[in-house]
Amino acid sequence: MRRETLIFCYAMVAPALIFTILLGIYPMLASIRISFLEYDLLRVHTTGTPWVGFENYLRVFNDPKFLQTVVNTGIFTVLAVSGVISLGLLLSQVLNEDYRGRSVVRLLVCVPWFVPPVVASAIWMWLLNTDRSPINYLLMHWGLIDSNIRFLTDREAWGPFSVPMLSVTAVRIWNGLPFVVIFLLAGLQSIPRSLYEAAEMDGASILQKFRYVTLPLLGPVLGVLLMLLVMTGLGHFEINYIMTGGGPQNLTNTMAIYSYQQAFQNWRFDTAAAASGLILILTGIVCIYYIRGQLKKDVR
Amino acid sequence: MTSDTTRNRGKNRTVSTLMRGAALAGALAAGVGTAAAEPVKFWSQPYGDLLQWQSSLEKNIQAFTAETGIEVDLQIINWSSAFSNWLTVAQGGAAPDCADMFWLYSFSGIGGDKYGPKPINDHRSAWPELDKDFFPGSLTDVNWQGDFYGIPWRVDVRPILVSRTALDEAGLAAAPDNWDEIVAHAKALTKRDDNGNVSRWGYNFGMTNAPQALVPLYWQAGGSFMSDDGKTATIDNDEMRATLQWMHDMIWEHKVVNPDFMEPSYDPQADFVSGNLAMVGSVAPNWGSQLSSQYPELNGSWEMAIAPKGPKNRDTYSGAGYWGVLRGTDKEAECVKLIEFLSQNDQMQSLSEASSAVSPRRSVMASNYWADEPWKKVLSASLEYGRTSQHPSPVWSALVSPKPGSVIYDMMYDALVAQKNIDEVVSAAQVRMQVEMNRSSDN
Repeated sequence: MRRETLIFCYAMVAPALIFTILLGIYPMLASIRISFLEYDLLRVHTTGTPWVGFENYLRVFNDPKFLQTVVNTGIFTVLAVSGVISLGLLLSQVLNEDYRGRSVVRLLVCVPWFVPPVVASAIWMWLLNTDRSPINYLLMHWGLIDSNIRFLTDREAWGPFSVPMLSVTAVRIWNGLPFVVIFLLAGLQSIPRSLYEAAEMDGASILQKFRYVTLPLLGPVLGVLLMLLVMTGLGHFEINYIMTGGGPQNLTNTMAIYSYQQAFQNWRFDTAAAASGLILILTGIVCIYYIRGQLKKDVR
Repeated sequence: MTSDTTRNRGKNRTVSTLMRGAALAGALAAGVGTAAAEPVKFWSQPYGDLLQWQSSLEKNIQAFTAETGIEVDLQIINWSSAFSNWLTVAQGGAAPDCADMFWLYSFSGIGGDKYGPKPINDHRSAWPELDKDFFPGSLTDVNWQGDFYGIPWRVDVRPILVSRTALDEAGLAAAPDNWDEIVAHAKALTKRDDNGNVSRWGYNFGMTNAPQALVPLYWQAGGSFMSDDGKTATIDNDEMRATLQWMHDMIWEHKVVNPDFMEPSYDPQADFVSGNLAMVGSVAPNWGSQLSSQYPELNGSWEMAIAPKGPKNRDTYSGAGYWGVLRGTDKEAECVKLIEFLSQNDQMQSLSEASSAVSPRRSVMASNYWADEPWKKVLSASLEYGRTSQHPSPVWSALVSPKPGSVIYDMMYDALVAQKNIDEVVSAAQVRMQVEMNRSSDN
């Protein structure tokens, strides 16, 4: 490549790179550094920030509440990712077909995307409020229930599953669905029609076309989606924090909320950084798997 | 000739250098002059209607500038970022010269003697009548560890709120005046449908912040959260057990309080407005102005009353915001002048009216503005029972944080919602609280 072209390329990439380093890489490294220090806001002006090695990580791992948040985060991620991808696959097929009013349906599917998660959480908090929920009202009116469902406050749990956990997961799926649908729709539109026609000539059913044509060709898109959704799932914060604050009884608490609570409620930036460090490690593992997969594919 | 010329050139160069030096010195002096004339940076949170508040504060500041010649640069800090702003300030981040502040004990504890609120003991004499002019409860919010930090200008004092309509319906003449009457009233006011579902709860302990509702109840039972020096937790006692037992019985024995009252999705104000809740034990003053202005159709259907008496006293939740000076400023004298100006009767009156915030100044609360509606008179009367919600430990605000994980929240949740053994819950909370308090008292 010519030198001028190289310089031009670097110049084009530089602004994005600088912003990424300043706003992404630097805070991340600073947070990792803090996780190895004692950084208690109430003591920082007297004891400073001495190096404590892995002490913060040990404290975090010895906290049963944190271990519960790890399980909760895992459950939440699996439920949200599988739910949003299953529904996304279904809806993207519907939106990919030719029919009257398709544009309106596409617009409606995208509506939740226009609602920021904070606003969505506030709306759903009202919709799922035990005493004022219109859902409860309708179910009661139709005679399907005789006492209100406590969507966000029921303390009964079946292992890591509970009504509040399922409720916040449903809201996350609702909020994240448009992104997945648009992604998959773009993938579907890139599949040549001739492949479906060939499958039809071979007598393939709808399910077989989906299994042997759609899914394999959507593979790369699904891979990227899966990685992005798992990463956002592991770091998920706002919907759970606003709707339940991690409760009741820690049932919907996630690692990101735990980290926030440590920093801004308890003023322990060190413990918060250690909890965040674990989120970073987990998302890092997901990234490594994905990148390794991509590299292997490129070699082949 | 040549040497003269050279000498002259040398002289010219020297003169020129001297002139440049003089010009530079002049410019620097001018710069210093400019720095000295820099305005005082003043931050304030918004109260009530933002535009009305900002306009009132600006008018007062303009009057101050006209009187003293001191320029003030006002910046309004949104409440959504106020906490993180002050946390940053207390850690050495960008700070104003003076400001409207809160949580003195916590932010002083975090900032130590380097950052955050600055004591102004030397200027205390600027307010010779402070103890006489202000309600005493508010003054404890501006004094910490023997130092004087500023002037309180607003008070969050919390009376009980009751539905007049519900009281009339149940044949009750007045709001409850003690804990026993709360139980009796709440039972009479709770309504259930044919399926046994509650259509109107009789009572809720307070607003959405559950630990703040426990605080005055524990005081009323005769308890105190910590020793006077802020080093020892004092919640493992009969008073705390009695308080939690009473609250527990309200929920599970009398069934007059919604068991979901500690969850973030529970909104007592919405329940009260919609008629699903008859009494709220401890409400902030702005509920009065909000109900008056946003729900005029409800006027006459609700009223406030001074907090009911507990087994020992009638101590009422109270917390004051104050005007104070920040460490690192070189404009302490100007700031004190500004605070002195703002704390005069007329200024405090106008700011209290613009914000609808209860004033800690007796003369303001005796004005017509605070006497034209019954609920306003109740707020004035409640100030006599106000006890500061701040405690002499910097870790206090973390202890009573309204989210799972804080010591008081977890204690309440375990005792009142999860219904664990109160004895064990209180003992465990005492241990946790002491550990947290040791973080700051080791300093």
